[in-house]
This record gives sequence, structure tokens and C-alpha cells, in this order.
Amino acid sequence: MCGILAVLGCSDDSQAKRGRVLELSRRLKHRGPDWSGLYQRHDYYIAHQRLAIVDPASGDQPLYNEDKTIVVAVNGEIYNHEDLRRRLARHKFKTGSDCEVIAHLYEEYGEDFIDMLDGMFSFVLLDTHDNTFISARDAIGITPLYIGWALDGSVLISSELKGLNDECEHFEVFPPGYLYSSKTGGFKRWYNPPWFTEVVPSGSYDPIVLRRALEKAVIKRLMTDVPYGVLLSGGLDSSLVASIAARHLSGTKASRLWGTQLHSFSVGLEGSPDVKAAAEVAGCLGTIHHEFHFTVQDGIDAIEDVIYHIETYDVTTVRASTPMFLMARKIKSLGVKMVISGEGADEIFGGYLYFHKAPNKEEFHRETCRKVKALHLYDCLRANKSTSAWGVEARVPFLDKEFINVVMSIDPKLKMIDMGKNRIEKWILRKAFDDEDHPYLPKHILYRQKEQFSDGVGYSWIDGLKDHAKLHVTDKMMLNASHIFPHNTPLTKEAYYYRMIFERLFPQNAAILTVPGGASVACSTAKAIEWDAAWSNHLDPSGRAALGVHDSAYELDAGSNSSTIKIVEDGPMMMDTTVRELAIRS
Amino acid sequence: MCGILAVFGCVDCSQAKRARIIELSRRLRHRGPDWSGLHSEQDCYLAHQRLAIVDPASGDQPLYNEDKTIIVTVNGEIYNHKALREQLKSHSFNTGSDCEVIAHLYEEYGEDFVHMLDGMFSFVLLDTRDKSYIAARDAIGITPLYIGWGLDGSVWFASEMKALSDDCEQFMTFLPGHIYSSKTGGLRRWYNPTWYSERIPSTPYDPLVLRHAFEKAVIKRLMTDVPFGVLLSGGLDSSLVAAVASRHLIDSEAYCQWGSQLHTFCIGLKGSPDLVAAREVADYLGTRHHEFYFTVQEGIDALEEVIYHIETYDVTTIRASTPMFLMSRKIKSLGVKMVLSGEGSDEIFGGYLYFHKAPNKEELHEETCRKIKALHLYDCLRANKSTSAWGLEARVPFLDKEFINVAMSIDPKWKMIKRDIGRIEKWVLRNAFDDDEKPYLPKHILYRQKEQFSDGVGYSWIDGLKDHANKEVTDSMLTNANFVYPENTPATKEAYYYRKIFEKFFPKNAARLTVPGGPSVACSTAKAVEWDASWSKNLDPSGRAALGVHTAAY
Repeated sequence: MCGILAVLGCSDDSQAKRGRVLELSRRLKHRGPDWSGLYQRHDYYIAHQRLAIVDPASGDQPLYNEDKTIVVAVNGEIYNHEDLRRRLARHKFKTGSDCEVIAHLYEEYGEDFIDMLDGMFSFVLLDTHDNTFISARDAIGITPLYIGWALDGSVLISSELKGLNDECEHFEVFPPGYLYSSKTGGFKRWYNPPWFTEVVPSGSYDPIVLRRALEKAVIKRLMTDVPYGVLLSGGLDSSLVASIAARHLSGTKASRLWGTQLHSFSVGLEGSPDVKAAAEVAGCLGTIHHEFHFTVQDGIDAIEDVIYHIETYDVTTVRASTPMFLMARKIKSLGVKMVISGEGADEIFGGYLYFHKAPNKEEFHRETCRKVKALHLYDCLRANKSTSAWGVEARVPFLDKEFINVVMSIDPKLKMIDMGKNRIEKWILRKAFDDEDHPYLPKHILYRQKEQFSDGVGYSWIDGLKDHAKLHVTDKMMLNASHIFPHNTPLTKEAYYYRMIFERLFPQNAAILTVPGGASVACSTAKAIEWDAAWSNHLDPSGRAALGVHDSAYELDAGSNSSTIKIVEDGPMMMDTTVRELAIRS
Repeated sequence: MCGILAVFGCVDCSQAKRARIIELSRRLRHRGPDWSGLHSEQDCYLAHQRLAIVDPASGDQPLYNEDKTIIVTVNGEIYNHKALREQLKSHSFNTGSDCEVIAHLYEEYGEDFVHMLDGMFSFVLLDTRDKSYIAARDAIGITPLYIGWGLDGSVWFASEMKALSDDCEQFMTFLPGHIYSSKTGGLRRWYNPTWYSERIPSTPYDPLVLRHAFEKAVIKRLMTDVPFGVLLSGGLDSSLVAAVASRHLIDSEAYCQWGSQLHTFCIGLKGSPDLVAAREVADYLGTRHHEFYFTVQEGIDALEEVIYHIETYDVTTIRASTPMFLMSRKIKSLGVKMVLSGEGSDEIFGGYLYFHKAPNKEELHEETCRKIKALHLYDCLRANKSTSAWGLEARVPFLDKEFINVAMSIDPKWKMIKRDIGRIEKWVLRNAFDDDEKPYLPKHILYRQKEQFSDGVGYSWIDGLKDHANKEVTDSMLTNANFVYPENTPATKEAYYYRKIFEKFFPKNAARLTVPGGPSVACSTAKAVEWDASWSKNLDPSGRAALGVHTAAY
């Protein structure tokens, strides 16, 4: 990843302003530790902090067209840049950077080229012919982007909130899939796939089509000139990514440069479920596997830093980001700059445990659409910012545009969980990779249910966080929470604690509004809470609470003759509980 | 390099204090991007930010003795750690880190072990058995260290000033070669070599002894588990480092892991003298050479950050640090974590051009002693902090303790510059590596006079800086400079400009006092300004001003 910051039309071209822009840009240095660049033309400033992944030697940014009339700063990767270059045969390219095509595409097609880009990206482009600019963000919001407006009439655009929050009167999240044009002064959605309307599709399920689509998505993400690896939690999604990458590595340019053996990384408290599961998968795939252990204290000590980096007070995101943040530092220290990660599968396929309770296929489908649209506020934000904090880039093949189209056109009745037919969550994905001749994964891994992320790193992690929050937040503070924080009022001490840290770092009201809120159970949207009457009484944002839907719980259900969902707030974990799990609290 | 921060005896042991220490420690994270650790014990905190060079897998800090009663946080490299481990047979070690020996040495010898360490280091050690602690800094001050005192009675130690300046009422540079012990509450010098007294030595010059001492110094610095390289400006000092390193690479541990071709790095404005000179040396040695270019604008844009990192307003240091700072970022982006660099030779051998005017061998020798003692405020500070800003470690073989002993025991008459018999500056060093059978360097490089650093990166660099400062600083500002800055009053607009930036980051009086001042010409000490009557009227801290002594001027 890189960091971009643009200050456009601020009516100030002084040395002092230049100094200030440099200072703001430095706040994004973690994203692009390798080099920085600042383009200034009158009162237009475009700054860039670079992480060099493709063409480290010459691809420093900002980038230009041939006569330098068009200037562009990009954070991202354009996987189809070689194709696009071929289509721009009459253009002369100065660098090997994948992002340079953007300047030339604009020259050729004006503002209507964004959909031609296959990748993840945020960029700002200045056309010096008429001093207009455009800015755009990728379809799903894999890369972060914020936009703000200052009292002097300038527009600021920044990869992270911290680059612009102190300068702007108002700022907000730049919506994914949108283009901002200074000519119209407004946003336009450029991303218009069929699934966006949320109409329920009726496409058939072809396991091989699905498989090929994911394989293609992984393979194109092996484009790199630097060492890389795979984040492996041992669950289905990351294991599939690792398996495909390991299988196709040998044909790639990356393998010539960095060897044919894949590196994989996992993190957890000592002895945690993820660490065990990942080691098993790594053993099957024969990767060079790196395990990182952290202690609850390590995690707690990092919380402030995590919130500073990820810029959210969402409880689930903070919980899950911390181990990822710690792991990213270790990964970077090994010299690895890029990792492939499994985010997005749970949203596209309805993989969260609460999907067990989806009442019908229409509801199921619409919930997956809502989840995909909100990804940029949750898992995309986590994956990108936790890794970018240390100059590591995360690539997410499940959020490939083509792959999403394939998956979201499948009749959702096939995604529905049907324990009677042995169809657990994400069954169509599992089935697509169930190859008897050349198995991608052993069956028991392919069909295993896994902990949700923050549980998987070790059961005591979340308990430790809660205990720590109690030391900082008193009952009296909680009583006044709704007055102090009228928007997205924290309901738990843990949430209050994160919120306090967030507001200290980002005190503006606009910053508070960039973080989503609302009721949720086990990562659901507010809408899906209606699926089960019991849920609204037991709101807990984390995976653990949605008990009774995991395999092991179904078995217990049969024994206890109970059919209602059980929600255990502070109980032990799903997998190895026997006694307390039956304690239904209502 | 790593970053250390330690606080002892603060009144407050709350969660909030812990969080504050973590926050302060994060200010040193650039020094140690790879991991961080914090040990807290009642009202004592030892924090560490690690750059993993030796034993990346298990050497996270703080480090402990066997029963964890002794805790130590170290920034540095102990080159003789294996030999020391041998001497500590009865001890069992938890990690492969070179720094772990410190905990065990303390256990064995108490406070009197610092001189046994061969390397560069700053460390803080807590003995939980009697709640006493010590801190020490290497002989010359290759690694930075500051000490401070809080109003609550706490004592602070930090690798960089920025970690303690906001929380201490008073602080200062921790003197190199000293140890602080909480038992006595004071600093004591542990480094007592013969040359320190500044008495004139009389050992005759033996080229081979000098050569071998330097080769040993370079070889021991090849101890690394990560990719490394050499900073090569094309001058004598860095070229010798590169020549010796590439010759001995094949016998080193590093060779097995990272290949037999040495990486070398050079930076300059396009077409600058250094780039040309370094390329020539790299071609001769067959290194894998990387050239980096910067523009004057890029350098100017980086100034604030440079001053924040190097924590000085000394003009020469800032001029020379900026290119080094920019280059370090590029080097790090290639995955290289450690570089060897040529600092220290000019001080030991009297290599600065103003040494041409040394009136006699006594004056020359005393000046070299003064220069070495001040290195920690100038070139050591520059080399360490410019590279550490990007998590890159600089090792300086010329400042090897043994090598200094050898070089400083030579009768200084040999170091005197005598053009009539062909002895230019640093002749004793050049001659030591003048090997006709297996030449280290071609003769014309071995005997060439080079630009001083900030000139070598390109002549327009310093002019660009001056022009920029002229825009930022008005005449009336300079007129009032002695009222605004009564101490170390800036005499030029450039100096005024740097000072302004420095004071913005480090507003306390104590911070100002950590930076040396006084008259200087072309890097001389104030004392040496007396060598030439015309100098005192023409004070300019940079190399170019001392004209008339370069061969071109002869």
C-alpha cells in the first residue's frame, strides 16, 4: 500500500503551506515507508508515500502522462495494467509502475475509465489543462480513502483520516465504487454490477466455474517484485487462498524472484485454535510457515496504537485488528512486503454463523449484499490499515470484481444453510474445491467450521480486553455514556474504552460519524437482527454470542431437546463447552 | 539499531503511566521497527523497540538473566559476545541475542564489566534484588543516549531526546564512555585508554599493524543475520571499508546467508562528485552498486524531518545528514538493515583540510583527541540518527576500540601533512593499504583528496540550502538573533532557520544545551581556529571555506 494526500485549491502557495502539506503527508508514512513525493502547482498539492511492490527502482510517485500535464497519485495495485498498456499502444510509459496507466487512461477516455481498472485503488488525478481534478476509490473499498472540505474552499483527499482531520471543517468516508469530479463538485457511482440492486439472482451453481474464478483471482494477485506470503488462520478462506497460491506459484514471475515455496503466517496466543489449525494446513500444503505468539498484555499495550491506525471504535474491528497489527509488524521484519488474505468470503457466501437463522433465500441474499457494501467499514478497513501500519500490503482475492460477480449471481437458495442436507455455511465454496483427484485441502479441513477471528487467536484475548476495560471505565462512566456519546453510544465498558481512545486521537464530530454503529449480533447488520426474536435482547457484536448454530451446538441441541438459540454472554467457547453452554440467559 | 527508554522511581505506577511510557517509547519506533517490549516492575519501566539484526527469531527485548532478577534493555551490537559467552560457562542463555551477555556479565562481575564489551552500545540494567540500576554508553558514543530527571524524583534514559524531553524537568546527553549507577547516583567514566590523557605518543608507525587492526575491525562488523551493505562515497575512508569488506566477505557468516557480492550505496545530486567517485570504486571492487539521486527540493522538503530525527541545529551536521537520511530510506526499502560506514577516520588521522595548518605534532595530536571526544555530538550522531530514522543500522569500523588504540598510539609526527615529501592528509592510513601485490584500491583513488561530505553530494546542495533559508529568514530576524537565541546564537540565516525548526520540536532550554556551539572553521574545534589568524574573521562551518589547502588550490 501507499499513502496519498491531496490539498486542492487552498489559495495558498507559500513555503509554510508546503511545509504543512509535507507534515500531513508524513502522518501516512507508515503506509509507504519506501519513498515520498510531493507535486505542487500553485495552490494544488499532491503528496505520496510509497510502498514499492511493482517496479521498486523507477516507480516513484506522483506519476505523469507524457507531457506532464496530468499528475496522478495512486494507492493500490492495478492487476490488469499490462493489458491496459497494450490498449494504450500510442502512449509512452515512463515507468514500470502498474499505476501509471491511470494518467494515460484519463488522457484517452476522460473521466469514464474507472471500470476498466481491475484491482484495488484510490487515486487523485490533477488535469493541469483546466485545473480540474478527479478522485476515485475501488469497487468495494479495499483501499481506504477520505475526503474533506476546508474553510478556505479547498478539497482534501487522504488515504487515512489522520491526514486531513485537523485541516477540514467537514470530512467523510469517500464512498467505495465512486468517483468525485471537481467539474461537477459531486460524487458519481462508477461501480454498477448487477448484484448492487439486491435483486435476487437465479443463476445456477457450477462448482468448476466458481473454482476457476477464485483461482484466477488469486493468480492475478501474485503480481509482485518483492517477497510476499499468505495470512493463514487455518480456516476455510485463508486455507483455500494458501492452497491456490501454493499450487500456482511455480508459473509466476514472483517464483523466479523469490522461490517456489510459499511463506504463510499465523498469529495467536500460545496454543490458540488458529495457531493449531494453521499449522495443520501449512503442514498439508508444505509452506514455510511462521507462527507468531502474542500475550494478552502485548495486545493491550498495542490498543492505542491500533485505534490510531485503524481509525475506528467498532468493537469487533478493534478486537480482530490487534493480533493482525502485531503480526504485520513481525511479517515486515522478515522483509515481506505483501500478503494475500482471506477477507470477504464470509460476506459473499453468508459465512457468519448468524446466517444459520436466515428465514429465506431473499433475506439471505439481501443480507449478503448489505454485508458486501459495508465491508469497507469493517473487514476491508481492518485488513488494510492493520497491515499498512507497518508497510505491509494486504491483497484480498475474494473481493475480486469478477469473482464477486460470479458468486453473487448464484441463486441464493444454494447458499442457504441446511444441516439436514449437511450443508454448512459456505458449502458452495467448499464443494467447489472438493477435488478427489487433486485435493486442495484434506476433507476435514475443507468442511470444518472455524472460530470467528478474534476468538480463534485465543479464548482469553477477549476476556482480557474486557477485564482491562473494566480497570479504565467505571460504572458511573457507563451511566452517563448516552449523554457523553449521544451518537453510537457505547453499551459496554470495552466499547466505552475504545471510544475514549478514539476521541482523544480524533476529536472532531465528523470523525465520530465515519464509524458505523447500530445494533448487531455476531457481525450481523441491524436488519438481520429481526431474524430471531431472541437476538435483539442480546446484542453482542462478536462471533461468540451466536451460539447454537455451530456444529457442536447442534449435537448438544439434540441431546437437550432444545431448539431455541442460546446466547451466552460471557460463557466459555463454542467448541469445547459442555456445561455452561446450556445455561440460557434471558 | 534499537531504541531504549527506561524510567526509574516514578511516583505513579498506574495504568495511565504505563500507557504514557508506551506512547513515549513509540517515539523511538523508527529505530526499532521490528518489535517492541516493555518490562514494568513496580515504579520501574524498561521499554525497547527492536531492530532485529542478530537472532531475529528469539532475541526480543528486554533480556533477562536465568532467574529473571536482572533485566536489561540494550541498543547496540556486542561483537565479542561469543567470546564472552565462553567466559560465562556457568550461565545458561535464553536467546541467541548478542546483547544477552550483559545481564550475565553483571551477575558475574557487578558494575565493573563495561570495558569487557567490544562494540557499540547503550544499555539500561535493572537489578530487582536490590532495586538498583545502571546505565552505560559505548566508548565513543556511536549509539546515542540521553539522561533526564523528572520532578517526581524519577530518572530517565532514552536513546533519543524526543522520548524524554517532554516529561523531564532537566536532561542532557549521557556522556560516552561513562556509566551511571543508582547506588552512587552519578556518572563515572569506565573508558580509560592511554590516548584519553592527550599525552603525545611515541610509538613508531608500522603500516602492517595499522592495516591488520583495521581489517579486524571491519571483519568483526560483518556479524549479521540480515542483508547488509556499505555506504560508499568514493572517498578514501568508505572505499577502504568497502575494499576490506568485499575481500573478507567470503570468510564471514553473512556470506553463507546473503551471497558473496557486496552491496554498496551512494547518494548525490545528479552528476555529483561523490557519485562519480563511488562508481569508479564500485567498478574496481566489483560490488553491486546502487546509486540514488535526490533533488535540492527533496532535500529541503526533508529538513524538518531530518532535524526532528537527528536532534541538533548544528549546520554542518544538518547539511550532511539530509542526503544520508534520504539514502537510508532507499536502502531500507531494498530490504537492507545494516550498513558499514566510514565515520571517524578524519578525526583519528586528522583528515580534515584544516589540519594542513597544524603548527606542530603536539597541536595536531591534541586536536585529534578533542575531535574524537566530540564525535558523539557530530558524525556519530549524524551517522546513527540519519540511518536509524528508517530502521537502518550504521556500523563504524574506524571507531573500533582496538583500532583507535593502535592509531592513537602512533607518533603524531607521522600524521603531519608535508606536501614536500608527498604526505597528504591521512597518509599513514593510505600508506598502510598501499599493497602492490594485492592492491586494495588503485593508487589514484588511494591517494586522492576528496570533497568533504556535504560538498561531495553536489555543489548546489549547500547553495540551495542557503537560498531557501534566505527566503525564510529576514534581515531583521537575524539582527535580533542574539536576543532571541542568546546561547549558540545563529550567525547565518541558514543557522537561524535550522534553529527555528529545532526549537519548534524541542522547546526546552535543556534541549538547546545538548547541541555544541562555538567558533569553527571547516569542522575544526574552537581551539584550532587559533592555527591561522585569518580564520577567526572568516568562520564558516563547512569544508569549502578552508580553501587554499586542497591540492587544487596548491
